[in-house]
Amino acid sequence: MASRLIYSLAAGCALWSAAAFAQDIGTQTTLTEQQRAARLERQRQEMKSWEPTPPPSDPRDFTGVWEVPNPVVTLRQPDGGIPPYTPDEARETQRHIASALAGNVITDASTQCFPHGVPRLTTAPYPIRFSHMPGKILMLHEVAHNVRVIHMDRTAPPKGEPRSFLGYSTGRWDGNTLVVETTLLNDQTMLDGATSHGPRLKVTERWTKVKNANGNTDLRDVITVDDPDHFTRPFDTIRNFAFRSDMEQKFGADGLTEYSCEENNRNVPGADHIVTAR
Amino acid sequence: MKRLLTVLALAAAPLAASAAADPWAGVPLAERPEPGLPNLDGVWAMPRPITALKTLDGKAPPLTAAGQAAYAKNRAALKAGEDPVSKCWMQGVPRLIYAPYPLLISQERNRINFVHETNHTFRIVTLKKPLPKVDEDLDPAWLGYSAGRWDGKTLVIDTVGFNDKTWLDYSGLPHSDKLKVTERYRLTKAGAIEGRVTIDDPEMFTRPWTTGFTLVRKPGYELKESVCVRDHKM
Repeated sequence: MASRLIYSLAAGCALWSAAAFAQDIGTQTTLTEQQRAARLERQRQEMKSWEPTPPPSDPRDFTGVWEVPNPVVTLRQPDGGIPPYTPDEARETQRHIASALAGNVITDASTQCFPHGVPRLTTAPYPIRFSHMPGKILMLHEVAHNVRVIHMDRTAPPKGEPRSFLGYSTGRWDGNTLVVETTLLNDQTMLDGATSHGPRLKVTERWTKVKNANGNTDLRDVITVDDPDHFTRPFDTIRNFAFRSDMEQKFGADGLTEYSCEENNRNVPGADHIVTAR
Repeated sequence: MKRLLTVLALAAAPLAASAAADPWAGVPLAERPEPGLPNLDGVWAMPRPITALKTLDGKAPPLTAAGQAAYAKNRAALKAGEDPVSKCWMQGVPRLIYAPYPLLISQERNRINFVHETNHTFRIVTLKKPLPKVDEDLDPAWLGYSAGRWDGKTLVIDTVGFNDKTWLDYSGLPHSDKLKVTERYRLTKAGAIEGRVTIDDPEMFTRPWTTGFTLVRKPGYELKESVCVRDHKM
């Protein structure tokens, strides 16, 4: 009864309105407008040196290191709107945001050195290296040595495939767009720092090479999140990855720095202000 | 051990149903082996896992006095259940290769990617850059810094810049941060990889020494998600 009451209250008062989510996790900033503008300008200048060598001209060749310039971990839709949460999920997401704003660190799989889940891994603010091989495309992520294998040689997961943190991903080409469908995700991960998902989650990614305003090449990922238990309808969120051949020249393993989450993880529950979300 | 059995059981998973006539269809040119070079792409495993490394002629590695002392200390730690691997730390090189899990190799013109099933650990070996200078500016790394090259039809990888927290094998064989590892990989006529690893660490060994192993293909095998987290609350 109690839960039904809360449900109707939430639905009636639209508690999950955009205003209530004005402060997303991770977007708190002390920068003034002027400082923010200066930072963006600095980045615009830096961007000129990001592609000392261009990416392969083949639109279906994603080989190289890619990184999102201004990473946003939250699931904003392309028009800036919040995701179409179900009332329950809106309440849970808000609870986590309030907890984070109160100075807590929300732990989930990713902060405890488990694989991040999808799309949380894709939206993590770290570079990715792509590698193609017969029947597979690899996504090698700097963050916590996550690896995704995209199975181009299958259209569906094998029978009996178990659920996992990164699920099972099949891929196909739609023109020059790599379409990756991921299912069989366990429900231990979060979609961002505040929003959860269930076992029915299906994530579709559409990866395409595009020219950006600076004439550099971006790898655009249109991510469709479909989880009827947490959202009222499927929705998109978009990330544009910049090609970073400059990193390849500067850093160790062809652009990726070794990231050992297990060595010295400060986010293990039990420490001060660490709360378990999942 | 239970984990190993699980992996072996899963190894019998069915082959990909739709193996195209040309396995290279859709693979960009730069991501295919150079013509005339061996093709190492695919999943590999060691038929007989190795616990204690021996030299090629079957002898114990030539430890220095400091090496013997470190080895004794590590063996005591092993008995006490304090193998660094039990902390879920990366195994280091070459121990990562000896882990009882398959590995996937993705061979490109300019680099070789090794993806190990064990705790989803990967290593990217560049084929076009020299090794970094090992000095105080270089962060010691669990897997070191690798540079590879083709010597005829043999892939040669040099790795330096390790930390000293890992062991060389499952018996506790020690190394220092002066370790330099040279791996040589060659395809045999039977289609196996013959591996040779030379350990050069003047603090722990009286001379560089070489050990060997074989990797065989696991056709159709797909890497499973393997995760090692010691302290967690999920």
